[in-house]
Amino acid sequence: MVKKLTSAPALFAAAGAFLVTGLLLAFLYAPIDVSSMGFSQKIFYYHAPIAETALVAFGIAFVAAILYLRDPDPKWDRLGYVSVRLGLLFSLLVMATGMIWGKAAWDAWWAWEPRLTTFLIVCFLYAAYFVLRQVVEEESRRATFAAVFAIVAFIDVPITFFATRYMPEGLHPVVITAGDTGMEGSMFLSFMISMAGMTLLLAALVRSEVAAERLKDEIDDLKIRIGG
Amino acid sequence: MSIEEGAKFVAAAYAIILAVVIAYYAMSARRVSGLQRDVDLLKQEVERREAAGSGD
Repeated sequence: MVKKLTSAPALFAAAGAFLVTGLLLAFLYAPIDVSSMGFSQKIFYYHAPIAETALVAFGIAFVAAILYLRDPDPKWDRLGYVSVRLGLLFSLLVMATGMIWGKAAWDAWWAWEPRLTTFLIVCFLYAAYFVLRQVVEEESRRATFAAVFAIVAFIDVPITFFATRYMPEGLHPVVITAGDTGMEGSMFLSFMISMAGMTLLLAALVRSEVAAERLKDEIDDLKIRIGG
Repeated sequence: MSIEEGAKFVAAAYAIILAVVIAYYAMSARRVSGLQRDVDLLKQEVERREAAGSGD
Protein backbone atom coordinates (compact mmCIF):
# COMPACT_ATOMS: atom_id res chain seq x y z
CA MET A 1 0.00 0.00 0.00
CA VAL A 2 2.72 2.47 1.05
CA LYS A 3 4.76 1.40 -1.99
CA LYS A 4 1.79 2.16 -4.27
CA LEU A 5 1.23 5.58 -2.69
CA THR A 6 4.89 6.52 -3.10
CA SER A 7 5.23 5.18 -6.66
CA ALA A 8 6.11 7.75 -9.33
CA PRO A 9 2.63 7.75 -11.00
CA ALA A 10 0.89 8.23 -7.63
CA LEU A 11 3.27 11.05 -6.71
CA PHE A 12 2.78 12.70 -10.11
CA ALA A 13 -1.00 12.50 -9.70
CA ALA A 14 -0.84 13.96 -6.17
CA ALA A 15 1.54 16.71 -7.33
CA GLY A 16 -0.79 17.60 -10.21
CA ALA A 17 -3.81 17.74 -7.89
CA PHE A 18 -2.03 19.98 -5.37
CA LEU A 19 -0.53 22.26 -8.03
CA VAL A 20 -3.84 22.76 -9.83
CA THR A 21 -5.62 23.38 -6.50
CA GLY A 22 -2.91 25.82 -5.42
CA LEU A 23 -3.18 27.67 -8.71
CA LEU A 24 -6.99 27.88 -8.53
CA LEU A 25 -6.83 29.14 -4.94
CA ALA A 26 -4.13 31.66 -5.85
CA PHE A 27 -6.29 33.17 -8.60
CA LEU A 28 -9.82 32.65 -7.30
CA TYR A 29 -9.51 32.68 -3.49
CA ALA A 30 -6.45 34.71 -2.51
CA PRO A 31 -6.99 38.48 -2.91
CA ILE A 32 -4.96 40.73 -5.17
CA ASP A 33 -2.05 42.22 -3.28
CA VAL A 34 -2.87 45.89 -2.80
CA SER A 35 0.23 46.84 -0.83
CA SER A 36 2.84 47.00 -3.58
CA MET A 37 2.84 44.67 -6.56
CA GLY A 38 -0.81 44.33 -7.45
CA PHE A 39 -1.81 41.44 -9.72
CA SER A 40 1.78 40.52 -10.63
CA GLN A 41 2.24 39.29 -7.03
CA LYS A 42 0.43 36.12 -8.21
CA ILE A 43 3.79 34.93 -9.62
CA PHE A 44 4.82 34.35 -6.00
CA TYR A 45 2.54 31.27 -5.57
CA TYR A 46 4.72 29.14 -7.85
CA HIS A 47 7.97 31.14 -7.86
CA ALA A 48 8.70 30.76 -4.14
CA PRO A 49 7.77 27.02 -3.95
CA ILE A 50 9.98 26.32 -6.99
CA ALA A 51 12.86 28.16 -5.29
CA GLU A 52 12.41 26.22 -2.04
CA THR A 53 12.17 22.95 -4.00
CA ALA A 54 15.38 23.70 -5.87
CA LEU A 55 17.17 24.19 -2.57
CA VAL A 56 15.62 20.97 -1.21
CA ALA A 57 16.91 19.10 -4.29
CA PHE A 58 20.43 20.39 -3.61
CA GLY A 59 19.97 19.36 0.02
CA ILE A 60 19.11 15.82 -1.11
CA ALA A 61 22.24 15.81 -3.29
CA PHE A 62 24.26 16.96 -0.28
CA VAL A 63 22.92 14.12 1.91
CA ALA A 64 23.37 11.58 -0.91
CA ALA A 65 26.97 12.75 -1.33
CA ILE A 66 27.72 12.20 2.36
CA LEU A 67 26.07 8.77 2.24
CA TYR A 68 28.10 7.86 -0.85
CA LEU A 69 31.37 8.84 0.80
CA ARG A 70 30.45 6.71 3.83
CA ASP A 71 29.22 3.76 1.76
CA PRO A 72 30.18 3.89 -1.95
CA ASP A 73 26.96 2.33 -3.22
CA PRO A 74 26.05 3.51 -6.77
CA LYS A 75 22.48 4.17 -5.62
CA TRP A 76 23.68 7.22 -3.64
CA ASP A 77 25.56 8.51 -6.68
CA ARG A 78 22.44 8.05 -8.83
CA LEU A 79 20.33 9.91 -6.24
CA GLY A 80 22.86 12.75 -6.02
CA TYR A 81 23.18 13.08 -9.80
CA VAL A 82 19.42 13.12 -10.32
CA SER A 83 18.87 15.58 -7.47
CA VAL A 84 21.43 18.03 -8.84
CA ARG A 85 19.90 17.79 -12.31
CA LEU A 86 16.41 18.49 -10.97
CA GLY A 87 17.72 21.19 -8.63
CA LEU A 88 19.30 22.91 -11.58
CA LEU A 89 16.11 22.61 -13.64
CA PHE A 90 14.09 24.18 -10.81
CA SER A 91 16.79 26.85 -10.36
CA LEU A 92 16.53 27.85 -14.01
CA LEU A 93 12.76 28.15 -13.57
CA VAL A 94 13.32 30.32 -10.49
CA MET A 95 15.69 32.55 -12.43
CA ALA A 96 13.25 32.88 -15.35
CA THR A 97 10.20 33.63 -13.19
CA GLY A 98 12.30 35.81 -10.89
CA MET A 99 13.40 37.94 -13.82
CA ILE A 100 9.76 38.41 -14.84
CA TRP A 101 8.94 39.28 -11.22
CA GLY A 102 11.86 41.75 -11.18
CA LYS A 103 10.65 43.45 -14.33
CA ALA A 104 7.16 43.81 -12.83
CA ALA A 105 8.33 44.93 -9.37
CA TRP A 106 11.53 46.90 -10.00
CA ASP A 107 11.24 47.59 -13.73
CA ALA A 108 14.52 45.71 -14.25
CA TRP A 109 15.11 42.15 -15.48
CA TRP A 110 18.13 41.75 -13.25
CA ALA A 111 19.73 43.42 -10.22
CA TRP A 112 23.07 42.56 -8.62
CA GLU A 113 21.59 42.20 -5.16
CA PRO A 114 22.42 39.49 -2.56
CA ARG A 115 19.65 36.92 -3.20
CA LEU A 116 19.85 37.04 -7.00
CA THR A 117 23.63 37.05 -7.09
CA THR A 118 24.04 34.14 -4.66
CA PHE A 119 21.36 32.17 -6.52
CA LEU A 120 23.19 32.76 -9.81
CA ILE A 121 26.36 31.43 -8.17
CA VAL A 122 24.39 28.33 -7.07
CA CYS A 123 23.36 27.79 -10.72
CA PHE A 124 26.96 28.12 -11.96
CA LEU A 125 28.28 25.83 -9.22
CA TYR A 126 25.82 23.06 -9.99
CA ALA A 127 26.32 23.50 -13.74
CA ALA A 128 30.03 22.89 -13.05
CA TYR A 129 29.01 19.63 -11.32
CA PHE A 130 28.00 18.24 -14.73
CA VAL A 131 31.23 19.42 -16.33
CA LEU A 132 33.12 17.55 -13.60
CA ARG A 133 31.13 14.37 -14.25
CA GLN A 134 31.89 14.63 -17.96
CA VAL A 135 35.66 14.90 -17.55
CA VAL A 136 36.16 11.96 -15.15
CA GLU A 137 35.73 8.66 -16.98
CA GLU A 138 36.27 6.01 -14.33
CA GLU A 139 32.93 5.43 -12.61
CA SER A 140 33.90 5.21 -8.94
CA ARG A 141 36.33 8.14 -9.18
CA ARG A 142 33.67 10.19 -10.96
CA ALA A 143 31.14 9.40 -8.23
CA THR A 144 33.63 10.28 -5.47
CA PHE A 145 34.65 13.59 -7.07
CA ALA A 146 31.00 14.43 -7.75
CA ALA A 147 30.09 13.69 -4.12
CA VAL A 148 32.87 15.92 -2.79
CA PHE A 149 31.86 18.66 -5.22
CA ALA A 150 28.18 18.39 -4.21
CA ILE A 151 29.16 18.86 -0.56
CA VAL A 152 31.34 21.91 -1.32
CA ALA A 153 28.73 23.46 -3.65
CA PHE A 154 26.05 23.11 -0.99
CA ILE A 155 27.85 25.74 1.11
CA ASP A 156 26.23 28.40 -1.11
CA VAL A 157 22.69 27.09 -0.52
CA PRO A 158 22.21 28.37 3.07
CA ILE A 159 24.03 31.57 2.06
CA THR A 160 21.38 32.07 -0.66
CA PHE A 161 18.55 31.24 1.70
CA PHE A 162 19.69 33.63 4.43
CA ALA A 163 20.97 36.36 2.08
CA THR A 164 17.75 38.36 2.26
CA ARG A 165 17.47 37.92 6.00
CA TYR A 166 20.99 39.04 6.90
CA MET A 167 21.40 41.58 4.11
CA PRO A 168 18.01 43.36 4.20
CA GLU A 169 19.29 46.24 2.05
CA GLY A 170 18.74 43.99 -1.01
CA LEU A 171 15.74 44.36 -3.33
CA HIS A 172 14.40 40.82 -2.90
CA PRO A 173 11.52 40.80 -0.39
CA VAL A 174 11.48 38.58 2.71
CA VAL A 175 7.90 37.36 2.98
CA ILE A 176 7.95 34.58 5.57
CA THR A 177 9.91 35.10 8.75
CA ALA A 178 9.99 33.16 12.03
CA GLY A 179 6.57 33.50 13.65
CA ASP A 180 5.06 35.56 10.84
CA THR A 181 3.71 34.25 7.52
CA GLY A 182 3.85 37.78 6.12
CA MET A 183 0.54 37.38 4.30
CA GLU A 184 -3.12 36.90 5.05
CA GLY A 185 -4.65 33.45 5.63
CA SER A 186 -6.05 32.80 2.16
CA MET A 187 -2.74 33.76 0.55
CA PHE A 188 -0.82 31.53 2.93
CA LEU A 189 -3.15 28.58 2.28
CA SER A 190 -2.71 28.96 -1.50
CA PHE A 191 1.05 29.23 -1.06
CA MET A 192 1.29 26.15 1.21
CA ILE A 193 -0.78 24.00 -1.17
CA SER A 194 1.44 25.07 -4.10
CA MET A 195 4.45 24.34 -1.90
CA ALA A 196 3.17 20.82 -1.15
CA GLY A 197 2.47 20.28 -4.87
CA MET A 198 5.95 21.39 -5.90
CA THR A 199 7.57 19.17 -3.24
CA LEU A 200 5.51 16.19 -4.45
CA LEU A 201 6.53 17.01 -8.03
CA LEU A 202 10.19 16.93 -6.99
CA ALA A 203 9.64 13.58 -5.22
CA ALA A 204 7.91 12.14 -8.30
CA LEU A 205 10.64 13.35 -10.65
CA VAL A 206 13.39 12.04 -8.35
CA ARG A 207 11.73 8.61 -8.26
CA SER A 208 11.22 8.51 -12.00
CA GLU A 209 14.73 9.75 -12.83
CA VAL A 210 16.43 7.39 -10.36
CA ALA A 211 14.50 4.52 -11.97
CA ALA A 212 15.75 5.69 -15.40
CA GLU A 213 19.37 5.82 -14.17
CA ARG A 214 18.96 2.32 -12.70
CA LEU A 215 17.69 1.07 -16.06
CA LYS A 216 20.72 2.62 -17.78
CA ASP A 217 23.04 0.74 -15.44
CA GLU A 218 21.06 -2.46 -16.07
CA ILE A 219 21.47 -1.96 -19.83
CA ASP A 220 25.24 -1.60 -19.39
CA ASP A 221 25.36 -4.83 -17.33
CA LEU A 222 23.24 -6.73 -19.88
CA LYS A 223 25.43 -5.49 -22.74
CA ILE A 224 28.50 -6.78 -20.91
CA ARG A 225 26.76 -10.16 -20.42
CA ILE A 226 26.04 -10.53 -24.13
CA GLY A 227 29.44 -9.14 -25.03
CA GLY A 228 28.06 -6.04 -26.78
CA MET B 1 0.49 48.69 -12.12
CA SER B 2 -2.91 47.87 -13.60
CA ILE B 3 -4.36 44.34 -13.55
CA GLU B 4 -3.98 44.14 -17.36
CA GLU B 5 -0.29 45.04 -17.17
CA GLY B 6 0.32 42.66 -14.26
CA ALA B 7 -1.56 39.87 -16.02
CA LYS B 8 0.99 39.86 -18.86
CA PHE B 9 3.84 39.19 -16.43
CA VAL B 10 1.83 36.56 -14.54
CA ALA B 11 0.81 34.78 -17.76
CA ALA B 12 4.41 34.77 -19.00
CA ALA B 13 5.72 33.33 -15.72
CA TYR B 14 3.12 30.56 -15.49
CA ALA B 15 3.45 29.73 -19.20
CA ILE B 16 7.20 29.20 -18.78
CA ILE B 17 6.70 27.02 -15.69
CA LEU B 18 3.99 24.87 -17.25
CA ALA B 19 5.83 24.52 -20.57
CA VAL B 20 9.10 23.47 -18.91
CA VAL B 21 7.48 21.09 -16.40
CA ILE B 22 5.26 19.41 -19.01
CA ALA B 23 8.11 19.15 -21.55
CA TYR B 24 10.47 17.69 -18.94
CA TYR B 25 7.83 15.23 -17.73
CA ALA B 26 7.09 14.10 -21.32
CA MET B 27 10.78 13.68 -22.14
CA SER B 28 11.42 11.85 -18.89
CA ALA B 29 8.46 9.46 -19.40
CA ARG B 30 9.55 8.77 -22.98
CA ARG B 31 13.13 8.11 -21.88
CA VAL B 32 12.01 5.70 -19.13
CA SER B 33 9.78 3.74 -21.52
CA GLY B 34 12.59 3.61 -24.11
CA LEU B 35 15.06 2.35 -21.52
CA GLN B 36 12.56 -0.22 -20.25
CA ARG B 37 12.07 -1.48 -23.81
CA ASP B 38 15.85 -1.78 -24.28
CA VAL B 39 16.18 -3.69 -21.00
CA ASP B 40 13.43 -6.10 -22.05
CA LEU B 41 15.04 -6.69 -25.46
CA LEU B 42 18.47 -7.24 -23.93
CA LYS B 43 17.04 -9.64 -21.33
CA GLN B 44 15.38 -11.65 -24.11
CA GLU B 45 18.68 -11.74 -25.97
CA VAL B 46 20.54 -12.93 -22.86
CA GLU B 47 17.92 -15.65 -22.29
CA ARG B 48 18.09 -16.69 -25.96
CA ARG B 49 21.88 -16.97 -25.83
CA GLU B 50 21.82 -18.84 -22.52
CA ALA B 51 19.23 -21.27 -23.89
CA ALA B 52 21.29 -21.75 -27.06
CA GLY B 53 24.42 -22.28 -24.92
CA SER B 54 22.80 -24.92 -22.71
CA GLY B 55 21.39 -26.70 -25.78
CA ASP B 56 24.88 -27.26 -27.25
